[in-house]
Amino acid sequence: MNSARTRLTWLLIAIVGALTVCPVVMLVLGSFSEGLTAFGHFTVDKYVAAYTDPGFYEVMVNTGIFVLASSLLSTLLAIFLAYLNTRTDIPFKFLFKIISIIPMMIPHLLFAVSWALLLNPSNGLINLGLKDALGLDSAPLNIYSMWGMILVEGLLDLPIAYLIIAPAMASFDVALEESSRVCGAGTWRTLLRITLPVLRPAILAAFILGVVRSLASFAVPSVIGMPGRVHVLATYLYEMIATGFATDYGKAAAVGMSVLVASVTLIVVYRALTAESEKFVTISSRGFRPSVIELGKARTPLFGLVGLLSFVLIVLPVAVLIYTSLVPYSMVPSAKAFSMMSLKHWSDVLGDPISLLSLKNSLFLAVVGATLGVILSIFVAYVIVKVKTRAAGILESLSYLSFSFPGIVIGVGFMWFFVQTPLYATIWALLLGYIATYLPYGIRPMSSAFIQIHSHLEESSLVCGASPLTTMRRIIVPLLIPGIVSGWILMASMFVRELTLSVVLSRPGTEVLAVQILRFSEDGLWGKLSALGMVMILISTTLVVVATMVGNRFKAVQG
Amino acid sequence: MEIRICGVSKYYTSDGKIIKALDDVNLTIPSNKIFTLLGPSGSGKTTLLRCIVGLETPDVGEISIGDEVVWSKDKNISVPPEKRGLGMVFQTYAIWPHMNVFDNVAYPLQVRNMPKDEIRQRVAETLRFVQMEGFERRPATKLSGGQQQRVALARALVAEPRVILFDEPLSNLDAKLREETRKELRAFLGKLQITAVYVTHDRVEALALSDSIAVMRAGQIVEIGTPQKIYFDADHRFVADFIGRANLVKATVRAEEGGCTVVDSGLGRIVCQHRDIPVGSEATLCIRPEFIRIVSGAAPAAGNLVNGCIESLVFVGEVYEVEIGVGDEHLLARIDPGAKLKEGDSVSFTLDPAHCLLVAI
Repeated sequence: MNSARTRLTWLLIAIVGALTVCPVVMLVLGSFSEGLTAFGHFTVDKYVAAYTDPGFYEVMVNTGIFVLASSLLSTLLAIFLAYLNTRTDIPFKFLFKIISIIPMMIPHLLFAVSWALLLNPSNGLINLGLKDALGLDSAPLNIYSMWGMILVEGLLDLPIAYLIIAPAMASFDVALEESSRVCGAGTWRTLLRITLPVLRPAILAAFILGVVRSLASFAVPSVIGMPGRVHVLATYLYEMIATGFATDYGKAAAVGMSVLVASVTLIVVYRALTAESEKFVTISSRGFRPSVIELGKARTPLFGLVGLLSFVLIVLPVAVLIYTSLVPYSMVPSAKAFSMMSLKHWSDVLGDPISLLSLKNSLFLAVVGATLGVILSIFVAYVIVKVKTRAAGILESLSYLSFSFPGIVIGVGFMWFFVQTPLYATIWALLLGYIATYLPYGIRPMSSAFIQIHSHLEESSLVCGASPLTTMRRIIVPLLIPGIVSGWILMASMFVRELTLSVVLSRPGTEVLAVQILRFSEDGLWGKLSALGMVMILISTTLVVVATMVGNRFKAVQG
Repeated sequence: MEIRICGVSKYYTSDGKIIKALDDVNLTIPSNKIFTLLGPSGSGKTTLLRCIVGLETPDVGEISIGDEVVWSKDKNISVPPEKRGLGMVFQTYAIWPHMNVFDNVAYPLQVRNMPKDEIRQRVAETLRFVQMEGFERRPATKLSGGQQQRVALARALVAEPRVILFDEPLSNLDAKLREETRKELRAFLGKLQITAVYVTHDRVEALALSDSIAVMRAGQIVEIGTPQKIYFDADHRFVADFIGRANLVKATVRAEEGGCTVVDSGLGRIVCQHRDIPVGSEATLCIRPEFIRIVSGAAPAAGNLVNGCIESLVFVGEVYEVEIGVGDEHLLARIDPGAKLKEGDSVSFTLDPAHCLLVAI
């Protein structure tokens, strides 16, 4: 049995290793190669070219501003919301849960598009409304700018920052603050010297994860940055490989290397910080119940602010997309606009062969990709949780490696790999890329499911004479169903909306939904874009609703 | 510094019901004594402590520390905790995890903007007092439970507070460490000459540490007295029962004889410690297990002699815990493990009248 487990472990290390390490190795090799067709002729020309490019300096500065400012925005908002939720008597606390979960159902691409629809300088709805109301000649606001990118990316990263900071704040022992008050420090001094420093690891972790995510973000820079000619590393890479005639994958790999190194370093720091913040939770649960701060007169305005944020994060993007998909061209909502509404954009999109093809491809990738991804995740999670050897530790590190990979960079690495194989420009290239990049999202729910299955259940099956494979099929998998369902849904909904890897790997014939939406956005076809975007949201939402229902049924069975 | 609490009440609403956490509490805590608030959980002792320190606001009443009124509903006075000049040791110690020992202890002095040299000197003195010298640079997360407790004490003492308050400071320690720390704390407080208010639900802790104990129940103070008074001479049945293990037997007062009160009970006629209870009225006879003495051989001349039968016998280490049946009553007794007894044996035992306590029903 042990040898079977060892063989399984090494087999998985080989598979996961191939999936995650291969694109990185190819990226490194590619950055030193002369070109896609001249792989193996080594040179450092690409590095020289990439890092001496006069435009590169500006891109670096832009990236720095964008990444730091948007992370700062999301972290500050998250601190504010978490504090209100955990420590004050603000009403309707269920809103905070919604804020932290629902935005994940709205794809980043569509969130960015909805802001462009509202605030673009030529026909953004808010701009049109303000021009009419104030009698202005030109649009007062322009989302196609650095501040627009920072705003939208900051809002997008808010839920994840909130999910890191809120639990830290909830487990914070109020006695730490109270003892500071008794020692003679006032409210502000206590906040500055005790509360914030104790929460520092969680706050820094949220900030750093924000930096990693905005560094890898492609949706916001492409939809909002590119029209305003504000380039950051992600769009700089994209332009190098996807537009114009002189695509240069070598230079892209050379630039991508520094993004990858930065990202991996930050993730290492992030993991150290989360360990640190766990260490800071020194407190037993026996303390006095946390005292709730009464907001008094500030209660209503603060709640208004929270309500506004949830409106902006959840209702607004969907409402704007539905509205735009129904009106013939951009116009401020009015009686006239409502009378002109039709399903024209919907029928156009559903009659458009490329859109249909992208829909078909995305569904195929979601269903087949999530199924294969989950099967692989089951085995990997099993080895990580149940086989505690050093090889299992290697597998664990390997399988979480891709968390830190920025999609577009790893896409370039995969490109270097697939060009050498017959998989190039096929749907299978996308499939492999998706599974490799999103494997951690399948493994995580699966390993928490495995942790809950006591090893005695498994051992008694083996004692009864069942082989390890039969044990897996008859005992473990049935107990794992809830974990499997949630892992499948998570992967499938991510595959339906996948953008950053797809823009690199998708070729004519292998378009996917997100890429097609991006094309519509580049061409300014807002109506069609909104209709197709709504299709994407509907698929995502259906998946999540089905998952919740299945999950509830299994909970009822387990009772 | 004397603490006076006058007519303090505090209400909570929970599930639509109003809970009286404190119900018209009147109390004077004498200066330079160790004063303990003892009671079961939910009796309001921690709420009272938090009202004194200012972390909780009462609904009515007045609290003054020394000559200063720190909270008063009628006079509309509410001094925030940081202006009350107190020291407090929390149940969880609340050692700030991002600071080292020195910074934790120096904090109260730093917020008072004291010169650096003086801070260093006073922190060193206080750490020496709690026997933690040399630990200045140790990070807070690297301290054991007992060390955290001492740092918390040092932090509470360093600014020479008017009063020091303890909120169940030993409940997070394991049994052995708790006993050692209790002795240390007693020694530290004995040297200090400071008013200390100590909250606990542990009767041994209360008896061992206090100059004076107030027993609380349901937001009210039931009885106040020295540990000896509370243990041997309680006026209330609840207090007698809560402060130690007790056999409670229904009794009727029959006579006053030679400075003792005589009752009839399920154990027969028993001579008890004197109480001013009218002849003929009902009372509860309270007998602590350790004062039941098994008689072997000739019966002694003095004391109450009772005959019973051993119903069960459990060896718990230092003694046997024995249940003795007398008529319909079952008494718990703690007897010498050397005694040759077994279940079913008939036994006789004596009860010293001084340890037969009568309490109101």
